[in-house]
Amino acid sequence: MIAQQLLNGLFLGAVYALFAVGYTLVFGVLDILNLAHAAIFTAAAFAAFSLAVGTGMPLPLAFLIAAAMAGIIGILLDRVAFAPLRRRNAGTLVPLISSIGVAIIIGATLRGIYGVDERHFTTGAADTAPVLHLGPAAFTIVELTIFLAAVVLMFVLSWTLRASPLGRRIRAVAEDRVAAALLGVNLERTIAATFFIASSLGGAAGVLTGLEYNSVTLDMGGPIELKGLAIIILGGMGSVTGAVIGGFVIGAVETLATAAGLSEWRDAITFGVMFLILVARPTGFFGKRALRQA
Amino acid sequence: MNRTMVPALALLAIAALVAPSGAASKGPAAGKTVHVGVIADVTGGAGVYGTPQKNAYEMANDDVKSGKIDAGGANLTFDVADAATDGAQVVNLMQKYTTDGSTAIVLGPTLSGEAFKAFPLAARANFPVMGTSTTAEGVTALGPTVYRDSLAESQVIPTTVKRTHDKWHYKTAAVIFGDDNAFTKTDGDIFARELKAAGVDVVDTETFHIKDTDFQAALTRIESKHPDVIAIGALFPEATKIIAQAGKLGIKAHLIGGNGLNSPEMYSVAGPAAQGAVVGAAWFSGAKYSSNVDFVKRYTAKYGKGPDQFAAQSYAAAQIVAYLVAHGATNKDEMAAGLKGVRVVQTVLGPIGFDANRDAKSSPVILSIVKDGFAYFH
Repeated sequence: MIAQQLLNGLFLGAVYALFAVGYTLVFGVLDILNLAHAAIFTAAAFAAFSLAVGTGMPLPLAFLIAAAMAGIIGILLDRVAFAPLRRRNAGTLVPLISSIGVAIIIGATLRGIYGVDERHFTTGAADTAPVLHLGPAAFTIVELTIFLAAVVLMFVLSWTLRASPLGRRIRAVAEDRVAAALLGVNLERTIAATFFIASSLGGAAGVLTGLEYNSVTLDMGGPIELKGLAIIILGGMGSVTGAVIGGFVIGAVETLATAAGLSEWRDAITFGVMFLILVARPTGFFGKRALRQA
Repeated sequence: MNRTMVPALALLAIAALVAPSGAASKGPAAGKTVHVGVIADVTGGAGVYGTPQKNAYEMANDDVKSGKIDAGGANLTFDVADAATDGAQVVNLMQKYTTDGSTAIVLGPTLSGEAFKAFPLAARANFPVMGTSTTAEGVTALGPTVYRDSLAESQVIPTTVKRTHDKWHYKTAAVIFGDDNAFTKTDGDIFARELKAAGVDVVDTETFHIKDTDFQAALTRIESKHPDVIAIGALFPEATKIIAQAGKLGIKAHLIGGNGLNSPEMYSVAGPAAQGAVVGAAWFSGAKYSSNVDFVKRYTAKYGKGPDQFAAQSYAAAQIVAYLVAHGATNKDEMAAGLKGVRVVQTVLGPIGFDANRDAKSSPVILSIVKDGFAYFH
C-alpha cells in the first residue's frame, strides 16, 4: 500500500508542480498574481481535446500545439489585462482584478463553444491504457508519460532561466525592471516571453490533467487554482524551484493524509502543514530571491 | 421485490389507468395562461445537471403546445431561469417567483443544498414547490408545500443494499462518498447505515470533495482492507473517475451506488471497469413502457444525446403540473390544493404519486451496468 501511495502522491505532485511553476514565474517577474492562469489551464485542455478528438490528431502533437496556444493566450492576456495597467503604474491589486476579468471571459467563451458537458479523450475504454507494475504498485503508461513530461518541462524551464540569454533577460527584469531596460533589455518582449513560457506550462498541466483523469470540464481549473496558490506561497513567491518542491510536498501530504485514514481532514491537514511551514519560514522554502538568482 | 411494494404498485397501476391518457383536452383551465417558474443550474459547477433539466422543460413547452402533454387547453409555460450554481441566485429567483403574482408553482432548484436555502422561503409564503433532483434527506420536511418527484436516496439505497446482499451475500464493505454535498453526504450516511443493518462489516469509510479528480489514495487505502463491496456515494462526474481508477488499481470488489450513478456517462466513460456495477435509481432509460420509449427517442433526436435521470425527472414534473392544470389549477393556491389531492399521474418515470411526507411514491429500479448501457439487476 505504501509503494502505491507514494506513486499516487508523485503523479499528483507532478501536475501540481507544473501548474504552479507557471503561476510563480509571472509573480517572480512582475510581482502580480495572474488569476487567469487556471482559465488558461482549462482552455488548453479543451484545445487539446478538440485537436485530438475532433480532428484525430496524434495526442503528443495535440499536446504541443495546445501548450503553444496556451502560451499565445498568455501573451494576449498580458497585452489586454496587464500591459495597459503596467504603463500606468497601476500597482499590484488592479492587475489581479483585471486577470479575474480575463478568466471569466475565457470561461464564458469556453462555455459558449463547448457547453457544460464534461469532455473525454477516450470513451468506452477509459481504463484500457496498459497498466504497468512496479513491485506492488500499479500505474498506467499515461501516468508515467505525464510524470516524465512534467519533470522534463520543469528541467527545461530551469535550464532556460539559468543558462540561456532569454533566462538572463527574464531574471534581469525580475530583479529591476528599470535597470534592465536601461541596460538594453527589451522589456515588453521579455515580459511577453515570460507570459508565453508560464502560460504554456500552465496549459501543459491542463492537458496532462485532462489526459490523466480522462476528463475536461469548464471548472477543472477551480481546485488547482487554490492549491497552486498554496504551493507558490509554500515554495516562496516567485521561486521556480520552490514551486516544484511545493507541488510535490502538497501532492504527498494530500495523498498521505488519505493513506492515514484521514480523508475527511485532507484539505485541513494540507493547509495546516502549509501554515506550520510558513510560521517557521514566512518566506516559504526559497523566498522571492530564488528566481532572480537562479 | 419488496412484498409490501406489490400491492402498492398494483394500486398505482390501477390508478394509472384512470389518469388522463395524454391526448389534449378542454379542461376547466382552457384558454388560461399558467406560468411555472423553473430554477435550474444551467451554468456553473452543476451545469451538467441543470442543462438536461432545461432541455426537458424546453421539450415540455413544445409538447404542451403540440398537445402531447395534456394541459387541458391551458396556455402552460415552463420559464427556466439559470441559477448558475449560485446559492444566492437561487434564493433571489425563489423570491422573485413567489412574489411576482403570476407564477403558480416553482420546479427546482437543481441541488439539495440549494433546496435547503430556497424551499423555506416558499414554505413561509405557502407557495408550492417541487424538487426534481433534490434527493437528500429532509428536503420535503422543509414545509407543507414542498414536494419532490425524485425518489429520495433513503428510498433507493435500502433496496439497493438488500438486493445486492441477497445475491452476493457479502460480509465486508467500504464506503466512499463526497462529504461537501448534501446529496452525496446523504448517500454515504445511508449506505453506512443500511450496510450495518444488513450485518455487513463496514471496514473503511473514505470521503472526497465534489470536483476532485484523483481518488487513488482513497481507493488504495480501501483496497488494503479487502472489502467485498465498495459503496459509492457520488454523482456521475466523480463516480466515473472512481470506478475507472479502481479498475486501474486492480480492485475486484463489487461496486454499488445510488441515483447519482444513473447516467449514460457511467458506461461510456468509466469503461470496462464499470461493467457489473449496480446502481439503484428512480428511472431506467431502457424501460419499455411507451411514454418512456417515446421520451428517450425524441430527447435523443433533439439534443444529440440520451436523457439522463435529471432530464426524466424534470419532464415528469412538467407532466405532473400539466395534469394539475388540466384539472383546473391555475394559481399557487389551486396548485397547492391540487398537489395535496394527487393520487397518481402517469409520467416518464412510470405512475407516480406522493406519500404523506410529500415524497415521491414510486419504487426504485435496481440496474446493473453492462457493456453499452444499463440492464435490470437480477
